[in-house]
This record gives sequence, C-alpha cells and structure tokens, in this order.
Amino acid sequence: MGRQLKLNLFIYPGGHHEAAWRHPKSHTDRLLDIRFYQELAQRAEAAKLDAVFYADGPALESNVQFATRFRIEPFTWLSAIAVATERIGLIGTASTTYLEPYNAARLFASLDHLSNGRAGWNIVTTGAERAAQNFGLDEHPPHAERYDRADDFVRVVGKLWDSWEDDAVVADAGTGIFADTSRIHPVEHEGRYFRVAGPLNTPRSPQGRPVYVQAGSSEDGKAFAAEHAEAVFTAHQSLDSAQEFYADIKARAAAFGRDPGQLLVLPGISPYLGSTEAEAKALKQEFDELTQPEYGLGILRKLLGIDLDGVPLDGPFPPELLATAGKAGSRSQLVLDIICRENLTVRQVLHRFAGARGHYVFAGTPVQVADEIQRWFEGGAADGFNIMPPWLPGGFDAFADEVVPILQSRGLFRTEYSGRTLREHFGLARPASQYSRGRHTPGQPGAVQRSQHVPGEPLLGANT
Amino acid sequence: MSSTPTEPQRHLHLNAFLMSTGHHEASWRLPESDPQASTDVEHYKNLARAAERGRLDSIFFADSPVLFGEVGRRPAGKLEPTVLLTAIAGATERIGLIATASTTYNEPFNLARRFASVDWASGGRAGWNVVTTAGPDAARNFGVDDQPAHAVRYERAGEFIEVAQKLWDSWQDDAVLADKEEGVWGDADRIRTVDHEGKHFKVRGPLNVPRSPQGHPLIVQAGSSEDGKDLAAKYADAVFTAHQTLADAQEFYRDLKARTAAAGRDPETIKILPGIVPVIGATVEEALELERELDRLIKPEYARIQLAKTLRVEPEDLPLDRRLPDNLPSEDEIEGAKSRYTLIVQLARREQLTVRQLIGRLGGGRGHRTFTGTPAQVADAIQEWFDGGAADGFNIMPPVLPSGLGTFVDQVVPILQERGLFRTEYTGRTLREHYGLPRPENQYAHAAAPELASIGSAF
Repeated sequence: MGRQLKLNLFIYPGGHHEAAWRHPKSHTDRLLDIRFYQELAQRAEAAKLDAVFYADGPALESNVQFATRFRIEPFTWLSAIAVATERIGLIGTASTTYLEPYNAARLFASLDHLSNGRAGWNIVTTGAERAAQNFGLDEHPPHAERYDRADDFVRVVGKLWDSWEDDAVVADAGTGIFADTSRIHPVEHEGRYFRVAGPLNTPRSPQGRPVYVQAGSSEDGKAFAAEHAEAVFTAHQSLDSAQEFYADIKARAAAFGRDPGQLLVLPGISPYLGSTEAEAKALKQEFDELTQPEYGLGILRKLLGIDLDGVPLDGPFPPELLATAGKAGSRSQLVLDIICRENLTVRQVLHRFAGARGHYVFAGTPVQVADEIQRWFEGGAADGFNIMPPWLPGGFDAFADEVVPILQSRGLFRTEYSGRTLREHFGLARPASQYSRGRHTPGQPGAVQRSQHVPGEPLLGANT
Repeated sequence: MSSTPTEPQRHLHLNAFLMSTGHHEASWRLPESDPQASTDVEHYKNLARAAERGRLDSIFFADSPVLFGEVGRRPAGKLEPTVLLTAIAGATERIGLIATASTTYNEPFNLARRFASVDWASGGRAGWNVVTTAGPDAARNFGVDDQPAHAVRYERAGEFIEVAQKLWDSWQDDAVLADKEEGVWGDADRIRTVDHEGKHFKVRGPLNVPRSPQGHPLIVQAGSSEDGKDLAAKYADAVFTAHQTLADAQEFYRDLKARTAAAGRDPETIKILPGIVPVIGATVEEALELERELDRLIKPEYARIQLAKTLRVEPEDLPLDRRLPDNLPSEDEIEGAKSRYTLIVQLARREQLTVRQLIGRLGGGRGHRTFTGTPAQVADAIQEWFDGGAADGFNIMPPVLPSGLGTFVDQVVPILQERGLFRTEYTGRTLREHYGLPRPENQYAHAAAPELASIGSAF
C-alpha cells in the first residue's frame, strides 16, 4: 500500500463559511444539539476519516449578531462524541495560557481512556486578546512569552502523562496490591512558569499521550511545532506556499533530531462541490451573497488594524490604508499578500475570507477536488488535509459521499481502519514513558524502542 | 401512589454516590469487582443505567486534583468527572449528573463554561458539587506550596460561584435568534459582559456558551464546617453531609435550614442529603456476613496511615488496639477537612472504639453512616431520618459496586415507593425538576445591558 492521506474533519459550529448558518441547507436549529455533532462524527467515521477536530478559545468572539460565535467547551463535546463512535480520533483545542497543566493533563488522559486511545490535543497559546480579560489579566501576554509558557506547559503535561508507567497497575486482589508504586513517579517539575509535584491521578492512558497538534504558522509557532507537534494544521492559498511551509517544517523537525515522518502537515481545504465546476462556483456564490459586510470589515479591522468604514465595497483597496496595515501574525501576512497580489475589491476580499478565514477554498467537481488534494499530497505540500465543510451537515456529506470514494479508488485513502487509536490512524509511534527509560521490558507496551521519540524530549544519543 | 389529593406527599431525593468498585475500601478485592473499573466508562454507564432504573434523582462523583490514598493498596487513579459524566449522559435519559470541581484550583470562566456545556450535552441534567479542595498535596500540583487557609478557600469559593452565576446569566434565554432572513444570529442586546471585579477574580465575560437548559446547573455543597454551612446556606441547592447519629443529623438539618432562611432564601429550596452506606442482605445474618467479609479484607496497617493523615498525627501514635490519644488537635487548628475530622474523633470517643475498630467503621464510608440490614430495615432507617427532620433524602453510597447499587435499586427502592416516599416515575426532565427546584431567573433579566462591543478575531 502506498502512502495514505490523513483526513481530518474540522468542525465549526454552523460550518466554516461565516454566513453558512443563513443558508437554507444549514441545520441552524440543531447547532446546540449534541446529537447533531455525534451524527456528524458518525458520518466522518463511516467515511474512515482519521479524526474530528474542534477549534476553541475561552472568550466570546466578535460580532455574535452575524455569526454562530458560541463555543461549547471541547472536552464536553468530544466526550459525548467519543461514546457515540468507535474509531475516529478526537482532537480538542486547549490553551496553554488559560488552563492549568494538571487540569489539562487530567482532561486529556480521561478523554483518551474513555475513547480507548483516540484523543488529540491541539496546543494553542490563545490568540484572542479578549480571553485575557476573562482570566483577570488586563492585557494578553505577548506572543513570545505565550510560546515560552507553552513550552513549559508541554513539558509538564508530558511528565504527568508519563508519571504512571504502563505497567504500574498490578491489581492483584489476592494479595491486596493494586499498584507497583515504584512505577508511579512524582514529577517535581520546576519550570519557568509551572511548579507541579504530581503524579497524575489517572493511570497512563491507551495512547500514552494524546497526539500533539499545533496550528500556528508564525516563527514561534513553527519552532514550537518542529520541536513538539506530531501534526500541524496550516492555512495556504497556493501549492507553492504550502510546499515551502512543508519543506521548512520538516527540515526544522529534523534539526531537532526528529523523524520528519512523525510530523504530519495538514493544510485546510474548504470544498464546494458541484456536478460541474460552474455549479460548484455558483454554490459558493450563494453563500458569499449571504455575508454581511459589517462582519467581515470588523474582522479585517481586527486583523490588519485598518478601518474601512466609508470605503466603497466595490472599489479597490485604498493603497494608503494598506501601507499602514499591521502584520501581527502569520494570518495577517497571508491576507495582505492576497490583497496585494490579486488586486481585489474590498467586497472580493470579504468574500474571499468569508469561506474559511484564510484557508484554501476550492469549488469544483468531485474529481477536481480529488485531483487538487492529490496534487498537493504528491507535490510535497501535504500529508493530508483538514477538511473544512462550508456548511453543516450537507457540506461534509458531499465530501464524504463524492470525494472520499475517488480518493479510495485511487489508493490514496483507507477503505477500512487498520488501527484503533488516533496514533495508529496517523501512523505515529506510541511514546514510552520517560520514566521507563533504561528499563527493558520486552513485549510490554511501555518498552523502550530506539525508534520511538517522545515529543518534547530530544532523542537520546540517536541521530535517526 | 398513596398521596392524598389535599396534602401532597413529600418525596425523598436519592442520589447515588459512585466510586469505582464501591465505597468500602476493600471492595475491589471481592471476586465480583473489576480492579480496573475506575477508568472503565462502560462500568460507569451500567451503574448510571441501574440508578436510572431505580428512578434516582442523580449520580455523583467526588473528585480532587491529586493522587491520594495508598495507591499501592487500593484502586487509585480515575477519570475527570465532567468528562466522565458527559460520556454517561449519552447512555441515560433522565438521571442527574453531579460532578465535583474545585474552586481553589480552577478558573471561574473555564469551569462555568464546562458546566454549562455539560448541561447542554445532557439536556439539563448537570450539577456541580463545589469543593474548595483540602490538603497541601493538591496545592503542590498547582504551584502552591501549601493549601490556602480554610477561610480564604471558602471566601474564594463564594466569589467563584457568584462569577459563575453571572457568566451563566450573561446570555438571556432568548438571546439566540438565528433569524436567517434578517441575518441576525445572536441578539447583542441580550448578551452582556459581566464585568466582575472582586477580591479574588476579575472577569469580563460574556460566556461563550448560551444560557443552558437549567439556567444554572444544580449547585451542591458537601462541607459541614462553619464556613461550609454558610456557603451552602447562601448558594447550595443540595447538600451532601455525613452524620453517624439521628440527633447529629437533626441538629445539622435544623441549623442549615435556619441559616438558609437567614440568608434570605426559602429553606425548602435547599435539599439536605446525609450519606448512608447500606450493607444489604436478604437476612440480617447475610448482611452481617457481607460486612464481616469486607472488613476482613481491609489492611489495617495501611488504613492507619490514612487515619493518621486525617488526624494530623504520626501512624505510630495510633496503636491498633488502643483508643485514640487524648491530645489530638482541636478543629480550629485544622486547615483541611474540618468537619470530617470532628466527626471521626467524636465517633471514636462516643463509642470508645479502638483504632482497629474505628478503621473498620470508617472503611465502609470514610465517616458516613454504615447501616447493615435487610432491605426493609434499610428502608426503615431511611424513613426514620426522613420523617424525623434529619434529611430531605439520602446520598446512597453502596459499599460494593455494581452489586450494592443493584440491590438497593431492586430491593430497597420498591419498598420506599410502596410507602409513597419515592417517585415511581420521573415527572421532570432536568435535575432541578427532579429535586423540585425552580429554574433560576436570570439576574440580568431587567438590567440594561452594557454595549457588547464588536471585538475579537474570527481566526
């Protein structure tokens, strides 16, 4: 079997198009119904996708008038999905800035236990300034400081997840011995940001640790991903840009002594499908016409620091405003590049980003979408994709029903799950507990193997 | 049911307090027990279904963010309870789901959000047992060298609950319009910042979760210290408490109802549920044999270490066959679980127990009342306290799981139902409805909302 795509369903309440909830096809009345998301995950599982994923931030984001900005807490949602599915991975976003490491470690370990090894952690430092004010801070911590803290956070939770070795639980009722306490370790972490005694109060979970995912493409973000992440979600508008990112992040991972194959790159794609290309484009247009300029303008104001009030929507982007635009992060740069390169009107820019907030929007036939996925996959730009349905549930059904079978018939995607855990779906090694190193226990799941790399820890004396 | 139309029958509230293989510390060693049960979601789903079969009000998990106990000697390690209860929600339809979470080691925004989310995911069945988390070991998992003082923890807890209630009220019930034609999803006039600024917290809000089915998840409190009782009187919808004697329970009941009235609340709106560990047998002899079997499986030398920790003495100060030493610290000197400390010391002194006997008594329910007898005797014991002004219901703590819950549901509940003391069918859908409590009005219902500025990023 050749190299296989990894496909992840990125669930956004209401769909990724900002106005999707207004479209007659959207089941807007079910957005707070947990069964809606359970059914969606079941469909993704029927299509053999690797995982479902929730973005998250601990603040009510902008302009709730115009879009479905609520966010149910992701551990809750994913636990409910876990018990309604059997195989599909469950990736939740959790903030290293606004959660305590001990609590986060417990939540993920619990999710991994109750899903039998399907948990993934999208590690974010939380970009919304608004969040700070929900946690007693007047200002959001600066970017570099947030990543420093994230680094410390990842090290602590890694220790906590490793604090019970895999074989610590003996459970011998006859002798009354429950656990081998020599295999349960205090972590006594003393870092720059966190002091945590440990051990965790949960036995080591099926995957050892959840899969580490990262989604920021700033310099700090890339450095962090190269060192710690096992999958990266990223946004690219063109093959070139994706190829460059792919080569860069893999090289950075190698520079940390890691096997670049153990870091998966998954760009986002938001597909509109039609039986002809024209039909697909018309469908996208239907959604774009439901957008409300006030909403998109608010986002551009936030992102670029420029105020477009009073600027004609169907005129060009005023160059003098562009000159003052801020380039705060990787996404701001991406937006600016497109505005400059493609010479778009204000309204065109709003429509361009209404689809998936800067992710790649592609309208075409199922074969065209499959071709595009294959082109990126084989062109050194992607190990798979983050599928971002424009609306729910139909926007995903179309992909699952029409595109997945093409990818399967081309031998690019599984027709059955071969593994049970998310690590197995993603082809990632199960990390040994850092506390079992040097202890050779052949045949045990926690046995140390030379090829296994523990995320966040440099390989000991190995250059492979 | 035997209730008369003129005088509505007062009904018991029954909560199943679930703990891996049961509350008896040696339960995991019985042949029926699965020692890995504490991380097995199927085990808990089955328990919840059994409780629902018995029409119980709710199930409940205790919690603390620390690995405690003698890990080598009894099952330790567990799942985080909000995650576990959400998983259970999908396997049940009516039963309430109460999770413990600490106000000392969480942020109010995160916890308010999680409980609102569990309430959504369960269709209005979430409850939050508010604890302040005793002990320096938990503190050390959160960068703190020692636990904050008892009074400070409770002060923070009160403010924490107020922040959570504000956040739960930050959306009006009708804030989501989802008007496709007009293009208005949320009504910004009905969503507001909370702008809380207190001694312990500064939280702007609003929550990013719409107001949940119950408005506020049920608030439960379980500490019986002076600070704990005051907190309960102000905020709690239900109280879990531990008493060994009817007289103690009556005194607590009267005291807490009076404090609740003094806090300006209707005392009927706080439900008091003492714990009971029912060791049930078809005959008295059978029940006693089960109790003896469990106590035989206790390892007193390890239980003594736990007892010594609770009493703030060294294990060597507690010879197994002697009574407790006379010079124990007073409750005022204790910064941890104050009320449980006093209960244990009083129990030992009142009944002149040796350390070994005390360990046996505590092995069942860690200070909760253990009652051994036939189903009818257990029902009598429950009714005696319920009719005697000592309880609005009970926290049922089966010594062994799953069998202890099954026996209670199948043999004791029908007797209580026959006597007209307990529901035969659920009449409500939400946890508040089971407990006969009103859905809280939104505190901002009649307040003008501050303008919700257009803020934040869509990325």
